[in-house]
Amino acid sequence: MSPRYDAIVIGGGHNGLVCAAYLARAGKRVLVLERRERVGGAAVSEEVFPGFRFSVFSYVVSLLRPEIIRELELPRHGLHILPLESTLTPLANGDSLTQWNDHDQNRRELARHSLRDAEAYEEYGRRMHQMARAVKPLLAMTPPDPASLHPRDLLGMARLGGHLRGLGSARFHELCKLMTMSSADYLDQWFECEPLKATKSASGIIGTLAGPRSPGTAFVLLHHYMGELDGVFRAWGFAKGGNGSVSEAIAAAARSWGAEIRTNATVARVRVEGGRADGVVLEDGEEIDARRVVSNADPRRTFLEMVGEKHLPAEFVAAIRRYRFRGSSGKVNLALGELPRFTCLPQGGAHLRGAISISPSVEYLERAYDEAKYGEFSSRPYLDMVIPSLLDPSMAPPGRHVMSIFVQYAPYRLNGGWTDARREAFGDAVVNTLAEYAPNVKSAILHRQVITPADIERTLGLSEGNIFQGELSLQQMFFLRPAAAVSRYRTPIQDLFQCGAGTHPGGGVMGASGRNAARAILGEGA
Amino acid sequence: MLKTTPFHPRIAALCKSHAWRRWAGYVVASSYELSHEREYHAIRVAAALFDISPLYKYVVRGKDAARLLDRVVTRDVTRASIGQVLYTPWCDGLGKVLDDGTVARLGENTFRMTSADPGLRWLEQNALGLDVAIEDVSDSTAALALQGPYARAILQQVADCDLAGLKYFRLMAARLRGVPVTISRTGYTGDLGYEIWLDSAHALELWDALIDAGAGYGITPAGMLALDLARIEAGLMLIDVDYVSARKALIESQKSSPFELGLGWTVDLKKERFVGRSALAEEAQHEPQWRFVGLEVDWHSLEGLYAELGLAPQLPGAAWRMSVPAYAGGEQAGYATSGGWSPLLKQYIALAHLQSRWAAIGTQVEIELTVEHRRKRAAARVVPRPFFDPGRKRG
Amino acid sequence: MNARAVVIDAGANELVAAHVLARRGWNVLVLDRTAAHAEGGTQAAGWVAPAIVRDLELDRHGLEIQRPDPWVTAPVADGARLELWNDVTRSAESIRRFSPNDAARWPAFCEQMSTLARALEALSMAPPPDPMGEGVGALAELSGIALRMRSMGRQGLEDLLRIVPMPVADLLDDWFESDALKGVLGAAGVLHLHQGPRAGGTTLHFLQNHVGCAPGVFRPAVSNLVRVLGALPGIEIRRDVDVARIEVRDERVTGVTLTGGEEIPAALVLSGADPRRTLLSLLEPGWLDPEFVRTLRGMRSRGVVAQVTLTLDRAAGFETLAIAPSLDHLERAHDDAKYGRVSQQPYIEARAGNPGVHAHVQFAPYALAGTSWDDAHRAALAELVVRTLDERVPGFGARVTARSVLGPPDLESRFGWPEGQMHHAEPALDQWLWMRPTPDLARYRTPIAGLYLCGSAMHPGGWLPGACGYHAARQALSGH
Repeated sequence: MSPRYDAIVIGGGHNGLVCAAYLARAGKRVLVLERRERVGGAAVSEEVFPGFRFSVFSYVVSLLRPEIIRELELPRHGLHILPLESTLTPLANGDSLTQWNDHDQNRRELARHSLRDAEAYEEYGRRMHQMARAVKPLLAMTPPDPASLHPRDLLGMARLGGHLRGLGSARFHELCKLMTMSSADYLDQWFECEPLKATKSASGIIGTLAGPRSPGTAFVLLHHYMGELDGVFRAWGFAKGGNGSVSEAIAAAARSWGAEIRTNATVARVRVEGGRADGVVLEDGEEIDARRVVSNADPRRTFLEMVGEKHLPAEFVAAIRRYRFRGSSGKVNLALGELPRFTCLPQGGAHLRGAISISPSVEYLERAYDEAKYGEFSSRPYLDMVIPSLLDPSMAPPGRHVMSIFVQYAPYRLNGGWTDARREAFGDAVVNTLAEYAPNVKSAILHRQVITPADIERTLGLSEGNIFQGELSLQQMFFLRPAAAVSRYRTPIQDLFQCGAGTHPGGGVMGASGRNAARAILGEGA
Repeated sequence: MLKTTPFHPRIAALCKSHAWRRWAGYVVASSYELSHEREYHAIRVAAALFDISPLYKYVVRGKDAARLLDRVVTRDVTRASIGQVLYTPWCDGLGKVLDDGTVARLGENTFRMTSADPGLRWLEQNALGLDVAIEDVSDSTAALALQGPYARAILQQVADCDLAGLKYFRLMAARLRGVPVTISRTGYTGDLGYEIWLDSAHALELWDALIDAGAGYGITPAGMLALDLARIEAGLMLIDVDYVSARKALIESQKSSPFELGLGWTVDLKKERFVGRSALAEEAQHEPQWRFVGLEVDWHSLEGLYAELGLAPQLPGAAWRMSVPAYAGGEQAGYATSGGWSPLLKQYIALAHLQSRWAAIGTQVEIELTVEHRRKRAAARVVPRPFFDPGRKRG
Repeated sequence: MNARAVVIDAGANELVAAHVLARRGWNVLVLDRTAAHAEGGTQAAGWVAPAIVRDLELDRHGLEIQRPDPWVTAPVADGARLELWNDVTRSAESIRRFSPNDAARWPAFCEQMSTLARALEALSMAPPPDPMGEGVGALAELSGIALRMRSMGRQGLEDLLRIVPMPVADLLDDWFESDALKGVLGAAGVLHLHQGPRAGGTTLHFLQNHVGCAPGVFRPAVSNLVRVLGALPGIEIRRDVDVARIEVRDERVTGVTLTGGEEIPAALVLSGADPRRTLLSLLEPGWLDPEFVRTLRGMRSRGVVAQVTLTLDRAAGFETLAIAPSLDHLERAHDDAKYGRVSQQPYIEARAGNPGVHAHVQFAPYALAGTSWDDAHRAALAELVVRTLDERVPGFGARVTARSVLGPPDLESRFGWPEGQMHHAEPALDQWLWMRPTPDLARYRTPIAGLYLCGSAMHPGGWLPGACGYHAARQALSGH
């Protein structure tokens, strides 16, 4: 009896949906099983309070691969990304620094702070553009295993080597620097203006339990630079309707090719028979057969919970146990009765339509990290905020607004644990910090939603609340993600694959893992 | 918001066309009147007044000022006399052009450098270990260009000294109706002309004085469209249009050496040290791969392409800045980067990069042209630059 | 007459370079800034590579390597001590008192670290690989490395690529549970480094410090290498002379000029002074490409060490003593340094000397926030060290009769360590192998023909005394 499905995808997060869409497009019969009542994983929009739509977790779009947008025809399925044109960094002394997409406007503003930096900025942008172009092909590549003698890996290594050598010395060395330096050290080489350095180096600490002075954060900085919007690198956007509309568009694309999506269906385990995955068992006991199973859950949940140690080699289990999560991010979503009025910009303006970053200095960020290192949330955290209702009026009732605040740091392992009281205290720390720069915000809050790493784990199944399904550190990237010998989206279990961000190239709303996994599966043959 | 130059209040009042454009983060006028034609003709017939404040300007002072500039640019700065202005490119360590501009010696240890792109960082990086101070005066120094046969006459009306002795590419301090300025006999039109440099605070005062003094001579505020055509007639290149700065190039082939831009005459290899010297010394030993030349399009050939469709030639009124392929001997010989119809010369001219074997004066080439949605080729001839070089320019 | 080569500075690297050149017929003059036998400079810390011992016949000339046993003693609460020995089993015994689990895992840990260190040893004893190298020679070199890597086996290679970039805290957390053990080991991950154990790249540092050591020994050995090299015949050493300028004509070195004005012509100059001083101070400005200069100025040194010498009126009561009770202790000590302060609870590694006690103290950053190193700071640091040791070794404070402190600026002026950094260029992941100290300088050559760099800023760093000079001299020989 042949199974009804060619593939079951466990988890309706965006990578799972992307994987399902590509498989369905290739004619496979696909079933996606999502635990929650809606698909999207961390890319969801919910009307948490009546009339107010929140991008509950992830809140901006940039890293979504252009080839996925094109190949899955996402605009036809409703995806519409609105560009964020600026980043405002308010300062304690009432001044501010704004970075603009417009070259002349940006130079003029930056020259106010530092003429040298105004000039260096252009060169920096060009250099990072070159780096993004150099790294881009690596995103779609299935990382070759340098320790393997398999012809496929040897060929992959040769190609990788050829690509790197083809960059030329200058770009290759720059790439080496970006892979190994701290984001603060890297930026120190370019700029002198403290708020500029801090705001830029903050991209190196997103979702990461490390400070701007920790080696390895320049790599995360580069990772976040890879975002492309309409051909422009390092451009961030907001999806009309919130990040949920990204997932909805991908789901619609998948359905258009015949994929089935079931929500409120929790997979308890993968059924393994004779070293082969042949289906799944739901929490309520229902068993569903499939030719193969693809897990969009993170490596710990996939292997240690859904598969079980007894089916896996001991070495592999040890490697998965070593794979680190250490969630460090929180989120505060606000429903506002009026716009925040920033002391540095009393008259408001275009600045509010972009990103707003509380990152006045590198020391500020580093101190925020120090607290998290020892198990506390930052009393004065790094905040990255957008006000989606200014770009998309459908997100809030007329005259009202929603605000998405992404926070570093909120360590998963909090001293004493994440109790309700601690969640509220965390929310207070965030609001108090914001209020230092926009005093009216407290009275403007109509509703508040605070999300801790424990909430992320409980709601989305992301272990330890790590938003990338595992840290983006060198020891678990490329062929080591999540462990050597399983970085090609396969696993030690035949016909069990993985497609989540716990594989190369890692996290952010990219979709690359899902796409690469689908292509690896399709390359296998029927 | 874009910056406005110190002359903006006057310019805005006169800009009937509302045709503005950006230059180095400033708003400047493309033309004042509905068409740029009259402004263009004024350059050759009367005197055109251009606001050139958006140029980047740096004052370099100190014991090692000459050394710094000499290290950066390709020409010999140490031998420049006080009051001399040098036009020069400067290169990166591999001998590729970063920018071109002027270096003027204001005093024994004081120079002013102008450039099209920001250059503060480059100067500072090269100043390590030198006793020198670099000041960015781009915003605080206003600048005007007065170009045309009556330029001297107009200036003489307001100047407190005799301008007859101010020779080509030389500079002097003066007062124009009491406003302290430096005047250089330089310009971007290939004509008799002067550039006036002053503190921004006096900008409007000077503008008014010149307009008043020039009224009887037909002084005409002119915009960038007019300037563009004139500079093409003068055979002068423009960064980002005719060449790509080495710091902005995305690939190697976009970069140019001074030799490839016809600026070999500015490269003084007798200098012991300057940035790019060793690469340039090596390149100087053989023919450059490319040459920067003038092209004159054959009118009959051009006319014929339109005639066969029953049309008269439809040429753009303003100069164009595009990459236009050029062919010779059955292959692509290069490309033109600026061009247009010169009403003065009654010729269709262009500035082009051609591979050296096709670049000799008199070589017959073809340039591409789109006529009624179809790609055509018109015959053209390599001619010397400048296209227009009146005696009054140096006289 | 043989061609003249000048070597600037007279540390292990410079003397090894000098002797390598001399053995190939060069007439070598070493110019030493210090007066003869300045204290602290004659002891070289780190493993001396067999190739150097062999090529310069150092065994026959009295090279002695001290390997203290136990190599570290760490006081733990209630007067207990953790002692780690050259013998793996004996160490396991000591560890067992704090954690039987850790004791059980100790031998496997030592074995894995040894394997990894051997790979780094091989890398250290060759010039750095050049991934961008053209030509048969470069490709052969790269293939050689690839083969050597492959010979580690699949697991070995994976381990190498996975473990080297890790923070040493993660590595130790993976293996052990005892804070005392992890603290003592973690210290080897941050020695002379402006990082805490949670920072990436500290495992690399930890392993580099382990190269050449016996399994289970995680502190560099100490030797009399510099004294032996100084006494070896074959070269001329002039002491107490300072080079003011390196002379260049037509982009080729022609010699050096001393501060007094004396000119010394030379066809070859090897400089042990750090790259910034050599190329930006000793050369007349203008010879170097601005982009090159910019990258060089970005080279980080960031010394964080103070050396405190305590004179005692009797024996110290310990041979070695490490105050590193946990990884968090090291991390907090580093936190202070991040903000320009001396650690309020420092990491201290004390060694009984002859006589007195020498203490290596971290973190004492070169750049202090809002102030600079002066006698008050030095005195405060000495007091802090004495107090800290006294807490762990009752009665210690009373035995101290004199104190002297070398803060980072003192280490800089006395030993030529830029910003007090022993490795000259910070031994971080981004200043390693072909990136060390900058990509343009990784092959010891400079843009000036005949001028080479041979100091600790070069590959393989300050961990292996003499190795940088060894490679530099060989490069210089092949260049001529």
